Amino acid sequence: MAVLDIERPIGRPESLKGPGTLSGVHRPSSVRPAPGPGVRSPLRRSSWEPLSGEALLERLRITGRPRPAVRPDLIQRLRSVLESGLAADTVGIDDAGDGLPVTDTDPAPSPLLVTKERLHRALACEAHARPTGSGPRSFSSSLACGALIGVLFRQLVTVGDIGDPMADGLAALAVDDHQADLWGWIEGLAGPARDELRAEVERQAEGLRRRWPALDPAWLPRTQEAMRVRLADGTVELSARVDLAIGRPARDEASVAIVEATSGSRRVEHRADLHFYALVETLRSPAPPFVVATYYAKTGELDVEPVTDELLVVAARRTLDGALRIRRHDSGTGPGPSPWCSRCSILLDGDLGPWPADGTAPGPASVDVGLRG
Amino acid sequence: MTTVGDRTRRLLAPPPNPVPEAARRHLHQQLASELGSIVAPLSASDPVVVTLPVLRQARLRPDSLGEAVEAFAWRPIFVRRSLGLAVVEACAGGQFRTPLEAVGPVADEAVGRWEKTGWRTFHWEPWVAGLAPGARAVVLAEAAGWASALWSSLRWSAIPAHSRFGGADDHWVCPAAPPVRLKGRTELRIPLDAGGPGREEGAVALVSVSGGCPTDTWSEELAYLALVASLRSASLPVPARVLGLWPDAGVDRSVEIDTDNLARAVERAVTTTAAVVRSRLALPV
Repeated sequence: MAVLDIERPIGRPESLKGPGTLSGVHRPSSVRPAPGPGVRSPLRRSSWEPLSGEALLERLRITGRPRPAVRPDLIQRLRSVLESGLAADTVGIDDAGDGLPVTDTDPAPSPLLVTKERLHRALACEAHARPTGSGPRSFSSSLACGALIGVLFRQLVTVGDIGDPMADGLAALAVDDHQADLWGWIEGLAGPARDELRAEVERQAEGLRRRWPALDPAWLPRTQEAMRVRLADGTVELSARVDLAIGRPARDEASVAIVEATSGSRRVEHRADLHFYALVETLRSPAPPFVVATYYAKTGELDVEPVTDELLVVAARRTLDGALRIRRHDSGTGPGPSPWCSRCSILLDGDLGPWPADGTAPGPASVDVGLRG
Repeated sequence: MTTVGDRTRRLLAPPPNPVPEAARRHLHQQLASELGSIVAPLSASDPVVVTLPVLRQARLRPDSLGEAVEAFAWRPIFVRRSLGLAVVEACAGGQFRTPLEAVGPVADEAVGRWEKTGWRTFHWEPWVAGLAPGARAVVLAEAAGWASALWSSLRWSAIPAHSRFGGADDHWVCPAAPPVRLKGRTELRIPLDAGGPGREEGAVALVSVSGGCPTDTWSEELAYLALVASLRSASLPVPARVLGLWPDAGVDRSVEIDTDNLARAVERAVTTTAAVVRSRLALPV
């Protein structure tokens, strides 16, 4: 797989294009960094420093590859990979088993929901393919930091500034029903634990402020953009939500960049997440995104990957594999606990109780270890 | 994949033959008659409200129709549509280039107007005025994202200037006991021609924006919006077509409103009302 790493020198800029294509450089007079003192040209740097300002944007814009064209044939091929694979493996398709015909008055069956988290779980160990959020959440400082940095990144993109990071982040979580428990957990922190969290959030927020330039509104930056694609007559739904999508919808060639911001350290599954996003965006749009990237707020790294046909086909095969495992899990036809899975083997030792006889995953309190920091 | 230009041309194409007045009257009478008998078992003080979300809920999750509705409290997602529509209208009117530029000033203007006059155009002004900066940023981000999706779906230079953005929901109350209120909410109402004698306005097209993916009965759901718009006033024309946008899925669908489609919408409104009644009577749905 061709990968342009952050450490490599970047190529010469492409000729500038019109507004809205992510090629033109917009410099609002008001805010945030141009590459300032201490930020050297990436072509000349001898030791690694986080990119900032225009250099960071150029890293996203210039992938060293031509931008993918609008390719209906590619989209058809990817759909074919997914749908033929789903059709070939019918194990686990729920026909209700009651012999009754499905009529117009019957409730429409819910599609099998495939998210990046479920893919990780299913591909790591099929016994853990249950939906995220199916049990009580356990909280940690790293999870809290991730949520706070997520909303602060969104704030920076939308309004161009962050005030008091902890106050702004908590105010944002307070109006999100899905984060009410986490908000309560953070508010309940006291003493050194809260000071430590505050210090890390402030450090990472300062990095965001210093490194991320104002995005030209003509690029239509969207935060927390939902993406959904139905496959196989609506029986399977791929679902994703990306931290940042930039670029107007494609006309003749790819024009969208997708960025995921994370407060944690690099993990191998982050690349797989990006590939999944690229696949879903490709299936719902006239063209693939031209680039996907993860921004690491902890270090300032920007891990950039241009989107190619090969990347998309591999992502489709991985998604198919995961979707089939999830379907088997949900129908109760999947395998039980695996001795090769560290979490399963803990359970098999019997310390935390027997594996349920019906093959469903055990309670989340015993095995739910978050995959993302 | 439909291009923005194709989608806009299809939306603005000359209207098909209108639904004959006699057919419209017949369908309305049929609807009133059927709804009246369906809700008869309910208490007269137990009105039924049918909306597009209820139509979908009855089809996809009928068991949830009987669940208690949470008390209303403002949330960013409740603001995003109305603020997003105001943002798109401001952009279409040439005041701003893009939604992200517009969203802050449009929200500030609404809050400022409320603070000065007490007039609430959107109802959320006092809530937004009291938000801390971090929470306000979430509201603006939600609205900017919603508006960007609509903004990039159509060629606005081709949309007639006197199109209506949002506005009051269409609604019609069936005079039964208990009453049945049908409500329809559309994002855009676009004039397609100038109308004629005896008409308040000419043919119109409606645009509806939804989250998620279209269901397998999207055509009936879009036609339901035309049905409610046509029930509102006998002097208003039946909308000629309804365009549905599902930005999350990158999908658009449109339905030309003829007698058959209107009849299917009537049937869907009736079956949905029946599902609501069954859930209230704790019968199997």
